[in-house]
Amino acid sequence: MNVFGGTAYLDVAELARHRKLDNARFENLLMKQKAVALPYEDPVTFAVNAAKPVVDALSSAEKDRIEMLITCTESGIDFGKSLSTYVHHCLGLNRNCRLFEIKQACYSGTAGFQMAVNFVLSRVSPGAKALIVATDISRFMVAEGGSALTEDWSFAEPSGGAGAVALLVSNRPHVFQVDVGANGYYGYEVMDTCRPMPDAEAGDADLSLLSYLDCCENAFLEYRKRVGGVHYRDSFQHLTFHTPFGGMVKGAHRTMMRKMVQAKPAEIEEDFHRRVVPGMSYCQRVGNIMGATVLLSLASTIDNAQLAGPSRVGCFSYGSGCCSEFYSGVVTPEGQARQRRFAIKSQLDGRYALSMEEYEAILRGSDGVKFGTRNVQPDIGFIAGAYESGRRKGRLYLREIKEFHREYEWSS
Amino acid sequence: MMSKEREMMTKAEILELIAKSAREIIPGLEGHVFKESDQLSALGANSLDRAEITMMVQESLALTIPRVELSGAKNVGDLAELFLAKLKQA
Repeated sequence: MNVFGGTAYLDVAELARHRKLDNARFENLLMKQKAVALPYEDPVTFAVNAAKPVVDALSSAEKDRIEMLITCTESGIDFGKSLSTYVHHCLGLNRNCRLFEIKQACYSGTAGFQMAVNFVLSRVSPGAKALIVATDISRFMVAEGGSALTEDWSFAEPSGGAGAVALLVSNRPHVFQVDVGANGYYGYEVMDTCRPMPDAEAGDADLSLLSYLDCCENAFLEYRKRVGGVHYRDSFQHLTFHTPFGGMVKGAHRTMMRKMVQAKPAEIEEDFHRRVVPGMSYCQRVGNIMGATVLLSLASTIDNAQLAGPSRVGCFSYGSGCCSEFYSGVVTPEGQARQRRFAIKSQLDGRYALSMEEYEAILRGSDGVKFGTRNVQPDIGFIAGAYESGRRKGRLYLREIKEFHREYEWSS
Repeated sequence: MMSKEREMMTKAEILELIAKSAREIIPGLEGHVFKESDQLSALGANSLDRAEITMMVQESLALTIPRVELSGAKNVGDLAELFLAKLKQA
């Protein structure tokens, strides 16, 4: 699996000061940076930039066995045509391949992953692989007004990021070996956070948090019922959470430890640092990338965990609206070494640091590439330093939208 | 808590449970006298704290309902009313 955490990022402490957010509350978010989508980046460029290194690591025979490509997103650019068609084209994959897209808010990455796992396990096409790319961006045009929108929504800006995670699923799992059938899912209708308009988000942060906690508990209980002999503290050496912001994960972990294990505060704190914090590192630097966030956290866990031997990771995925799932898999030191070849941390370190003025200019320009744009040529010289920083890395960018059709180009 | 006892709970008793939980979660509320119009957010509780306070009250009442059914209260008086209504249904 590989992560693309953006070309440019913003220091969110600086943003919080600029927006005059209450400092104590901001600290509770436990966020450090967020990736910001540039005008010539869209969910396709993020997806392809995440998937390219994964595909490039394959032989051409292996690459030709990718028979399913699912994009998982809530940042679609067309109601009919899915992002996967562009991704397929840009990656040059075999045409004997299923192409489609999945949506269920932040649960989409898990939905795609589980579909891929089932496809491989079904052996209807023995040896076939599936490529799953969860990709989401937020350009931060918040729906204004309305009584149900809480003031807390202002705290969504520092945590809303941009990024993509690509997973290759096959019958030879090196990095994360799925526990087959160990899945507890739980969903129901609730109006917590949503994207009811093409480019804007709306939500009730309190309701969303309560729903997340309800799901965290019930998805795990269903997992425990199905698997048997499961203990929240002892069965998983690491835990990965959907991470809208770090503070939420800390709260959810505390609630679960109190409820499932009757743990006391000191034990909870120690457990949090050992089992949960490794998975938060990348999330704190990219921000909430919706459908891709739980996978971003999984990549962070695999890269940053101290592994003495095979270790089980428990994953909790939640998508507003809502659907959730608790599932697990095993990682090994060998798999970790293999995963670390993608050098995600140094990719994140190499991003361009935006100034507050540059960030504001990006927000003002967001309209230029909004949903339904028919013709545009984004200015790649918009923030010259940002383009330059990615140019030498051979990244995909959006060259033009021509009669709704998107044309991409590799930087060189 | 027995179901009979639960049914007999008054709003004042639930308010007291809310106050007790809030004092545990938010430092500096020890001496605070709670009024129905108090808003937990104004008293320094962030959304995680509010969720935790609600859960603590729910646990003391042995009320097993989804947390989302306890959202939407504007102040602690509202929240106590919500709990009362749920206890009646339980």
